[in-house]
Amino acid sequence: MRLLSVVAIVILFGFLFVGILHLHPVGEALGNSEVLQGRPELGIDINGVSTMDDYFLRNGQIETKSNNIVASVVFDYRGFDTLGEATVLFIVVSSISMLFFTFLKSKSIVSAGVPPAGQFPKIESRVITFGSFIMYIMILSFGVYLVVHGHISPGGGFQGGSVMASATALLLISFLITRHMQRTRKIFSFFESLGLTIFIGLGFAGITISFLYNFLAHTSTGFGRIIAFGPNQGYLISAGILPLLSLAVGIEVFFGLSLIVVTLFHVSGVKDTNSLR
Amino acid sequence: MMYYFFLVISIALVITALLSIYFRDLLAAIVSYSVFSLVLTVLYFLLDAPDVAIAEAGIGAALTTCIFVIAIRMTRRREE
Repeated sequence: MRLLSVVAIVILFGFLFVGILHLHPVGEALGNSEVLQGRPELGIDINGVSTMDDYFLRNGQIETKSNNIVASVVFDYRGFDTLGEATVLFIVVSSISMLFFTFLKSKSIVSAGVPPAGQFPKIESRVITFGSFIMYIMILSFGVYLVVHGHISPGGGFQGGSVMASATALLLISFLITRHMQRTRKIFSFFESLGLTIFIGLGFAGITISFLYNFLAHTSTGFGRIIAFGPNQGYLISAGILPLLSLAVGIEVFFGLSLIVVTLFHVSGVKDTNSLR
Repeated sequence: MMYYFFLVISIALVITALLSIYFRDLLAAIVSYSVFSLVLTVLYFLLDAPDVAIAEAGIGAALTTCIFVIAIRMTRRREE
């Protein structure tokens, strides 16, 4: 058994090193032609560059009207993968809700330190409460910025949504959240489902060409604004359906991860944990 | 200069990862894991991947720590 695990580790590290040898050098746009020239099976064209990532770098801005090439790959070229990720997150949140809410419904929740609705907590440190509130607003603003500018600057739906969900965790630390568990669950699960529904609806909107087709990017006004190749200042309304998809994923990730954290927090506040087992 | 910076960051990664295994106090292990995520964020940012850096800071350093602390609150703090 020990020998088998050593062999497995050696094989995995071998794959890792072989993969690292064929990476682009850091900061270099084109493929390492010396490496790729001698290995025609890795997929190179006549100029000695690997076809796929150089294709994205050369044509991404023209085809998807998006300045952020990563966003154009994530939401346009590989949009179906993103739909899969969003669905996986949705299923995780659903199963956590299903596991814990039947339990939480039967108990009267008396979380330690959680105040009744509409009241501020009786906590000693005003520094923690007030500082967390200020930081909550700032982190939430940063998350909204990341989601909205997902097609221009680094960021996007998943990143911005997880940043906003960490703001929710800050609220839990400072006990600024109230004990209205069922209402919180209804609101959060509604918005989470809404995000995924918007994503799938936008996918079906371009169904005449294909699923998740970027139909808005092929006009020349509005969301299909033509942007220059290379570095430019970027426009908020551009890139076709990419900002809308990013917004949908951001809503889904924010409310889903917040629902997980809030649920686990309330479960941990229940005194009698024996009935959980 | 940049080479030594990468070297320091890589050594810090290995040390924090080993510490998070070594600690018997689970809260200390979680804090060490959180520091691991933060150092990894710096590494991702230096390697021109700010997307991944933001995701790592949000999920790895903040949310995972929060969920682990909640799990400790429901169970025991020390590992046998």
